[in-house]
Amino acid sequence: MSGDRINLDNVSRFYGEVLGVNRVTLSIPPGITSLVGPNGSGKTTLMNLITGLVRPSRGRISVLGVAPSQPEKLFRFVGYSTQFDAFPKGLTGSQFIYSFLRLSGRPAAECRELTARAIKQVGLVEAAGRKVAAYSKGMRQRIRLAQAIAHDPRVLILDEPLNGLDPLVRSETIALFKRYAAEGRHVVVSSHVLHEVDMISDQVVLMSGGYVVAEGRIRGVRSEIQEERPMQFLIRCKQPSLLASKAFEQDRVPDAQRRCGVVEARLLPEGEGVLVKTRDADAFCRALNHLALDGIDIEGVIPADDNVYSVYEYLIGSEEATQ
Amino acid sequence: MAVYKQTYKDYEGRRTATWSRFLILMRFSYARLFQSRFLVLFLALCFFYPVGCATLIYLSHNSPALAMLKLQSNALPPIDGTFFYVFCVVQGVLALLLTAFVGPNLVSPDLANGGLALYLSRPFSRTEYVAGKMAVLFVLLSLITWVPGLLLYAIQASCTGWTWIKPNLWLARSLIVGPVLWILLLSLIALALSAWVKWRIAAGACVLGLHFVGAGFAQAINEILRTRKGSLINLGEVIHTIWGSLFDTSRGTDLPVTQAWIVLGVTCVLCLGLLARRIRGFEVVK
Repeated sequence: MSGDRINLDNVSRFYGEVLGVNRVTLSIPPGITSLVGPNGSGKTTLMNLITGLVRPSRGRISVLGVAPSQPEKLFRFVGYSTQFDAFPKGLTGSQFIYSFLRLSGRPAAECRELTARAIKQVGLVEAAGRKVAAYSKGMRQRIRLAQAIAHDPRVLILDEPLNGLDPLVRSETIALFKRYAAEGRHVVVSSHVLHEVDMISDQVVLMSGGYVVAEGRIRGVRSEIQEERPMQFLIRCKQPSLLASKAFEQDRVPDAQRRCGVVEARLLPEGEGVLVKTRDADAFCRALNHLALDGIDIEGVIPADDNVYSVYEYLIGSEEATQ
Repeated sequence: MAVYKQTYKDYEGRRTATWSRFLILMRFSYARLFQSRFLVLFLALCFFYPVGCATLIYLSHNSPALAMLKLQSNALPPIDGTFFYVFCVVQGVLALLLTAFVGPNLVSPDLANGGLALYLSRPFSRTEYVAGKMAVLFVLLSLITWVPGLLLYAIQASCTGWTWIKPNLWLARSLIVGPVLWILLLSLIALALSAWVKWRIAAGACVLGLHFVGAGFAQAINEILRTRKGSLINLGEVIHTIWGSLFDTSRGTDLPVTQAWIVLGVTCVLCLGLLARRIRGFEVVK
């Protein structure tokens, strides 16, 4: 299976005395993986390590079985879009894509076809003949994405690819990522836009201060920290007080399997429902079934903090989460 | 849990030869460089002296034309090692000026804003990147140094025949080796300074400064310490010494040839070291 994954084994990178990333061990499967973390948390360093632009001070990396120190092999199937706003001077959008495709080793005629296709995919057909220097921020972001996808890579690594895109292009770009993932490719993105990360990611890697704080599927990560950070459920019902008291009662029954780990219940204003905190989400959901069978009319159950935003806030801090 | 089918197929078509990919950089660099009218004008200017030399060679073998111009054949310089040495010196200065203009445009823009990652995130190594950028200078400087030099040699050979070629075959070798060494040195210095300084104009000034300020310092050291060793930091004098030995002429300098070769080698190694240090696909902000 390792030939199908991006593997980082105890990878560290130091810039002199400055820590880039430290002791990172990851195994990234196909699908969309988001790197999330505050500025300076090591996301870009991790991407540069995966693409071989930075060599690790310690540890080993392999991308689908290929070491990043072999660019001739690696970049045949890897597309990378950096966050740098850098373009060679004087080139038009299509010249830019075409010239870098030629560096990938594709024949000229094929490069022309691939250029046209990539430009179409990012919706820049009309601007393709204009110089990149005259592009807006969003257009430059799109042309950068186009150069990364132009050679139809199996692994796509994108540093903040959604920055500066308008809502329509943003949704088209997300659809493109999903299409890539659906074909079994790897899409690794870094982002600060948490609700989008939550929406598109199959798994997230939360980073802070050069360390991986958590990784995996959002729900899995959330379950792991429910002991320190009880899960919150918003329950809409007509008898919130009764439901809250029954939930606490449920926790005192002799049958341990029927206990639901409720630690706090807060009634919502105007009797709309109750916000419950529990240390065992699965048990609580089972208990809710029993309560419903006992005659409490439950209109809806919404997990209130089962998302990347909450996980980020709990693990990394509310200060960065507001960025 | 998302379930993904492996429907993606890797590209299995033909690829261009790896060795030739650095030439792509050259092509796109020329397209940009030749947008500058100053460069085109300066390049045209660089051919004036070779055309003058060609005329001189033609005249020296054409008695009626000399008579028409009322010139004696002994008034013209002989076509020998010294003639080609002077040719190299003149074209060498022009090559230096051209390098100062073109060289800094090659690397510094890529480094100034982190654009190097764009190149290095391809099946393309740092060595190929440097080779591609050096090739831009190599071809351009070749056009004004050893290529016209060899043409002059061919003109002289066609005018005199085998009797001149046979004893002067070594001149052809010197006409290639001498300028190629200078081109190599200039290219490495220009790329290294461009990678180091980043600011294009400052890098150009540094290329010129290294030669002219170096020559000034060398002169000062020689005068103050009453030695000739100071000339070792004058790259112009170093290359003139090597050319002097290659063209077997007394017009060279009085620096020991071995020391000149050592300085040339050390300078190239230093430049390569600087390039290896600076040409990286990422920026470390300290």
